[in-house]
Amino acid sequence: MKTFKEILENRHAYAKDWKARTGGKVLGFYDTYFPEEVAYAAGLLPLRLLASHCEDALTDRLMYGNCYCTRDIFNQFMLGRYDYVDGLVSIESCQWWYNAFDTTLIEFPELWSHYLFTTDYVDARTSKDAVFSELKIFVKRLEEWIGKTVTDEALDNAIDVYNKNRALLRQLYQLRRFDRTAVLGSEVMEIMLANQVMDKAEANVMLESLLPELEARAPQEDGVRLMLIGSETYDAKLEKLVESLGANIVTDELDNGTAYILNDVIPMKNRLMAIGLRYLGKPHSALKDNVWRRRPEHIYQLYEDFQADGVIIAKQIYCHPHGSDMYAVWKLLRERNIPYHTFERDTTLPYEETKLGVEALISMIKPGMTRLHGWSK
Amino acid sequence: MSKQIWETRPLEIWGKAKELRANFQKAINEAAASPNSLLAHGNTGGVDWSVGFDGLNVVEDNPIGAIMASRSDSFSREARLASEIRGWGRELCGYVNNCWGCQFLGYDSPDGAPFPYRQLSVPLPDPCDQHAKRGQQCMDLSPIPRFGADWPMYLGPIDPERESALVEHKVQCILHVINEIERIFGKKYDDEKLFNVLDIVPRVQVLVTKIAQLMANVPAPLGLKELYSFYTLSVLTKIDPQEMLDFWKAFVDEVQWRVDNKIAAVATERYRWMEAHPSPWHFLRYFRYMEQYGAVCIGSQYSHMLVEPFKLNDDGTIGREEQVKVPEGQKIRTREDALRSIFREARGERFKDDEYFRKHVITDFAKAFHVDGAIMPLWRAGVGCTLTRKEQGLRLSEMGVRVLHYEGAQPGDRTDLDEHDFLDRLDIWMESQGLEKLA
Ligand code: SF4
Ligand code: SF4
Repeated sequence: MKTFKEILENRHAYAKDWKARTGGKVLGFYDTYFPEEVAYAAGLLPLRLLASHCEDALTDRLMYGNCYCTRDIFNQFMLGRYDYVDGLVSIESCQWWYNAFDTTLIEFPELWSHYLFTTDYVDARTSKDAVFSELKIFVKRLEEWIGKTVTDEALDNAIDVYNKNRALLRQLYQLRRFDRTAVLGSEVMEIMLANQVMDKAEANVMLESLLPELEARAPQEDGVRLMLIGSETYDAKLEKLVESLGANIVTDELDNGTAYILNDVIPMKNRLMAIGLRYLGKPHSALKDNVWRRRPEHIYQLYEDFQADGVIIAKQIYCHPHGSDMYAVWKLLRERNIPYHTFERDTTLPYEETKLGVEALISMIKPGMTRLHGWSK
Repeated sequence: MSKQIWETRPLEIWGKAKELRANFQKAINEAAASPNSLLAHGNTGGVDWSVGFDGLNVVEDNPIGAIMASRSDSFSREARLASEIRGWGRELCGYVNNCWGCQFLGYDSPDGAPFPYRQLSVPLPDPCDQHAKRGQQCMDLSPIPRFGADWPMYLGPIDPERESALVEHKVQCILHVINEIERIFGKKYDDEKLFNVLDIVPRVQVLVTKIAQLMANVPAPLGLKELYSFYTLSVLTKIDPQEMLDFWKAFVDEVQWRVDNKIAAVATERYRWMEAHPSPWHFLRYFRYMEQYGAVCIGSQYSHMLVEPFKLNDDGTIGREEQVKVPEGQKIRTREDALRSIFREARGERFKDDEYFRKHVITDFAKAFHVDGAIMPLWRAGVGCTLTRKEQGLRLSEMGVRVLHYEGAQPGDRTDLDEHDFLDRLDIWMESQGLEKLA
C-alpha cells in the first residue's frame, strides 16, 4: 500500500488513477470552507487544489498582487498538471482564491464551474438560511452536470465518511499530546494534505491501519513544542526544518490543519442544513473571524491543550486575511507571555533565513523550560 | 501651435461643495465631543439608512486615510508604522492602515488632535475582503459593538431562486444593526426619515447619471478633481438628503451649461483616458502633467460610482443597470419594506461586482466615454483595488484602447509609487501614441 506521503507527492497520478478506477469526475476546490460532503455524495472526487513550487512565467499576464498559492495553482493549470480536473468550484472566502478561479476559467472556459456563496459573517442570524439555499442550488447544478440525483442516502454516507475521516485525523493529532508525543509535525502535515486530495473512504482505510502502528511507537524525547499559525501551507518543509533544530510542531491553527477537522456534521433530517451548519460552525478562518471574535481565544485554547512552548506564525506574502488579523494574535500572545516568531514566506521557504529565526525562537524558549532540566521529574 | 483649443473657467458650485464638506467635518468633530451623539466607524452604502438615527455620524476610513496620505506623507507613514509594528500586514489597504494607525498613536493629525474613538462599527458591505475585516480593530481595542452585513455574490445571470434567500439575508443583517443600535444605545429610529431618503436617492441617482453622461462630451466639462471631490457628497460624506438633492440639481445645471457652451476642464483636450479604481491621492499631480499632452481623464467606474451598476444604453450613453426594479406603485409602510426596496438584488449594485460577473462593463465604459487610453494602477496592497485589473487591461487592449499599467502600494499609501518613474512612463506611453507635449 502506498503511504500518505507518496500519495501527496504523486497526487496528480492518484487522481488520474481514481478517475480510471471509478469513472467519476474530479471537482477542484480552493478553500476549506467548501462543503466537500455534497460533492462526494454526487460521486465526485472533491480535490483540494494544492500549490506546489513550480517556475512561473505565465501568471503575470492575468494576476497582480496575489499570494503565491493562488498564483501557483493557476500556473499549474497553465502547465497542464491539472488537466484531469473536470470542474472547479469557488466558495466565498479570500478574494485571491476567487481570482485563481476566475483566471483559470478565462483560460479554460470548458471547465464546469460554480461559485458557491457562503457568508463572511458566519454567525449572523440568517447565515444558515443563506447557506442552506446556496447548497440546494449547488446540488441542483451538480445533478444537472452529472445527470443523476444526489440522494439522502448518498448524503448520509458522505457525512459518515467525512465525520469518520475527521475523527481519525483528530486521533492523529492526539499523538502529539504532551504526555505522549509519538509523531512528528511533518508526518502529520503530510497526512493532512494527502487526505485533502484523496477519496476519503480510501483515506479512512489507510488511517485505520496506520493509527495503531503510530500509537505503538515509543514516545519521542521531550523537546521544544511549537504551534504553527498563519496562512495555509502545502508541504511539510517548515515542519522538517523545525525538527532539524530539535523541536517539533505539535499543533496548528491552519485552515488546512486543525480547522479542517475539529468539528463534525451533526446529523439532522435536513442534510444540507446539517452540512451548512458544520461549515459555518468550524473554527473561523482569519477572514471570517470578524464580528463575532473567536479566533484569538481558539488559538490560545489549542496552545494550552497541546501544551506548546511557543508559536510560529508563518504568513504568506500578500495574504491580506492574515495581514489584517495578526495584530490580534500578536496582542494575545504578548499579553499571555507566549514566545512567538513571525515570518513571511513566498514561493519557496527561505531556508537559511527561516532557520535563523526559528533557532532564535527555540533558544529563547529553552532556558525557561524547566521540565527539560529534570525539575518536573 | 496654440495650446488653447477650448475655453475653460472654474466651477461656480465649488463654494457650496466646500461648505457641505465642512459641515460634515464639523458634525464629526461635534459628535466626538458630544455625549448625545454617536460616532460610528463605517458606512451604510447606497441608501443611507443611518439617517433614521438622530445624532449618529457614520465615518468611513476611506476618506480619512486618503486625506491623511495626501496631507502629510510623514504623518501617514507614522500611522502605518504604528500599525505594522503591532502586526498589521504591509499588503493591507492603506486607508485602513492610516486611519487605524492613528488609534494606536492616540492622535489623528500631526498637530496631535486626539483620536476620535468610535462607539460602534458598521463596515460597508463590499466585495473587497478588506471591508469584511474593517472596523475590527476598533472593536477589538475599544471595545465597542461591531455589526456586519454580507455582500453576496454568484456568477451568471440573475437567478431568482438564489436571490430570495440572499436578499433576505442582507435585509435581516441591516435590520439587526438598526435594532441593536436602538437596544444598545437607547436611540429611537425614525422610519419616516428613511422613507424620505428612499424618495430622494433615486432622484439623486438620475442627476448623477446625467453628470456621467455629460462627461462623454468633447470637451469634457469636468476634470477628475471635480469628479473625485463631488462623488463623495452622498456616499462617504453624509449630508442632509434634501441638501444633497439640491446640490446635485445645481451641479447638473452648471455642467449642462458648460457642455452647451463647450467649456472645458482642460483647455487643450485632444486625448481622453479612463481609469479603473482610485488614483494615488497623494500624487494627483499627474493629471496636470497629462494636460501638457492635451489629455483629460474622463473618470473611472470608481469616480462615477454613484451611477453603478453601469450599463451601455442603446444610444451609446452610460446608464444604470437595475435588474430588479421597485414595483410600480409600491407603498412603503414599514422599515422592512424600506430595506427590501433598498436591497432588491443580492448582488450587482456595486461597480466592483462587474469585475466578477459583468466583465463586459469595463469595455462598455470605454465605449461610452470615447476613450483613447486607459491608465490602470496595479496596487500591491488592498486586494479589492487590484483584483482583475490585469484582465481588464487585456480586455481594453483587445478593443484597441491603449493601456498603461503602473505599480504602487495603494491609493492611500505612498510607499511604493516611484513618482519619477511614473511620469517617465507617461511620457513614453504618450509618445508611443504619437503625441508630444504641447508647446
Ligand atoms: S488566505 Fe492568504 S494564503 Fe490563502 S489564498 Fe488568501 S491570501 Fe492566499
Ligand atoms: S477596494 Fe481598495 S480601497 Fe476599498 S477596501 Fe479594498 S483595498 Fe481598500
